[in-house]
Amino acid sequence: MIDLAHLASIFDRLKRGYHLGPDDEPEFSALCGGRSDEYTAFFAAIGLKLVRHEREFFYFEPDNPETVPDTLPRIAIFSYIMIDHAANQGRPIEEFIFGQNFLVTALPHFTFDRYTALLRQVDVHDMPDLKTLLKHMERIGWVKWLGEDEFRFLRPFHRVFSKCLEIVNSTQAAAKQAAENPGPPTTDGDQHSATPAATDE
Amino acid sequence: MKVNPQSFFNFCANHATLLRALAERGGEISEAEAVRLIRMNPSAAEEIPETAWRRLRELQILVPTEPGSEVFFMADPVSRLLTYLFNEANPATPEMIRGYVLSLETTGKRLARALDEEDVQEAKLAFEEITQTLRRIHADLEETQHAILGEVARYKTERTRVSVREKYRRIVHWMERYVEPMIEIVRADGPLRAAFDEAERLLHRAREEALFTDHPALTRNLRFLRLVAAHALRVFTQCRKEIQPLYESLRRSSFIAEGAARALEKLQTDGLSKWGNEYLIEVAALRFQNVPSNAAIALTLRRVIEHPPEPPPVLQLSTEKADPGALVRLMWLDSLPDLVRRDLPVGDLLGWLVTKHPSPNISDLLAGFSRLVFHREFNAAFSDQTPRAYAAQDGEIEASPVTLISV
Repeated sequence: MIDLAHLASIFDRLKRGYHLGPDDEPEFSALCGGRSDEYTAFFAAIGLKLVRHEREFFYFEPDNPETVPDTLPRIAIFSYIMIDHAANQGRPIEEFIFGQNFLVTALPHFTFDRYTALLRQVDVHDMPDLKTLLKHMERIGWVKWLGEDEFRFLRPFHRVFSKCLEIVNSTQAAAKQAAENPGPPTTDGDQHSATPAATDE
Repeated sequence: MKVNPQSFFNFCANHATLLRALAERGGEISEAEAVRLIRMNPSAAEEIPETAWRRLRELQILVPTEPGSEVFFMADPVSRLLTYLFNEANPATPEMIRGYVLSLETTGKRLARALDEEDVQEAKLAFEEITQTLRRIHADLEETQHAILGEVARYKTERTRVSVREKYRRIVHWMERYVEPMIEIVRADGPLRAAFDEAERLLHRAREEALFTDHPALTRNLRFLRLVAAHALRVFTQCRKEIQPLYESLRRSSFIAEGAARALEKLQTDGLSKWGNEYLIEVAALRFQNVPSNAAIALTLRRVIEHPPEPPPVLQLSTEKADPGALVRLMWLDSLPDLVRRDLPVGDLLGWLVTKHPSPNISDLLAGFSRLVFHREFNAAFSDQTPRAYAAQDGEIEASPVTLISV
């Protein structure tokens, strides 16, 4: 007999991609409590990896599906634009994202042609589309609506930050590798890809 | 050209805001830019901007970058005076502190030589130089601390839109340019402490050898040496403590911003089709296929429970009279490899098949022929011999004999 508290509701939410954070009681406390390892072991036994993010929230490790749902690129682009905008404000990004509530109508996503063009690629054309997207994000526990037009980001949005850091790390690793193993000189006249030997000439 | 102090300070008194604006702007300035600042910061006394511009040059507050140049900068003495008046600070660079250390070392050598040679005059000069250097070091350390703390405060309160990555670059500059190298210099086993220790040893020697008789000054200097050494380390440790959290926060923010910018740039240049899954933040979604719902399971169980009992079906287990033709044919075909193995080599395969079939027909003959020709244990050899006729129940086959041997 399994006597883990709130197991059914925890499983029911996590299996749909939801991220359980401090706003999700009593499930979050159950997972954070002394029996955290038992939950992890229970889900591992049925082939699911329960991830405890370093910023204290929980989610099931996604497998790599062959088909990517349309919502994932939309959420990613929305989030990256949000971070790009936050960076331009000059405040620490996490403080900017988590330290305030946002109005959908005041979001930066349609303030620059560049952002608009990026969103157009994933069929996000106007404010109602943004609202739909935010509702998707609510379903996975990344945002919380506070009113008709107002929302705030929840702690699991840290997954986007982790992804950004991962991108930088992999870029730096690739650059380092390229520096250590320079390729053969190109013949297409590309000055940037010239090897050191070619440059010395 | 000497500047009349009274005129200078009268002008400064009436143009304090303008002078502050000029000092804050810093660097080289053109006439147009200077006049713009003059208009933005009008003087208490009514005057036209051109007059103020002329006076700025006459009083040598702004001096040309080179003779005849149209570009100006604030004269260094004025700049220092304003820094002092506005309680602003410029950080000392590590090179400046290293310069002081070098100066202390050189002066120390002179003092040592003076002590060896009992040269009172030289000892006095070296002593004064040490005192002056120590004062400068102390003042510069104070000013550097002031500047760093001011910079940290500016970061925290700055409302202007400077991007996170730009701020991070600036804070890295402060860390790498001032704080870290300075700590290297002033730490307990660093060059500053070594120079101080040597100076202290020489001052003690001067007192012991009674070459320098101003004991209160000697004591003051010894005290000052220890004070500056401890103060320097404390100042820069404090500075690092102040700047470190900001540095960490901006460092993380800068990397996050860079990651997002790279993802968006890639999307912009390559389009969505080539964007790749590495930029997506994947989310788990368990999909169950063909799983019956609770209602379906309940319905099935109810049907089973409520199903009326029926007698079991009765099977007819009597023996069939006629041979099952297809089975007999299959068994014959399966038996062929064993049968032919005993007769190998067979010179005429079709002829052999005709003799082995109880009632050969063309279909069975050809099926048996194929089975043996393509069997992995046998090799078949076709020949150009004179064709023969093979009689079957339902017709006749004409073919050259085929030889079958084992592999």
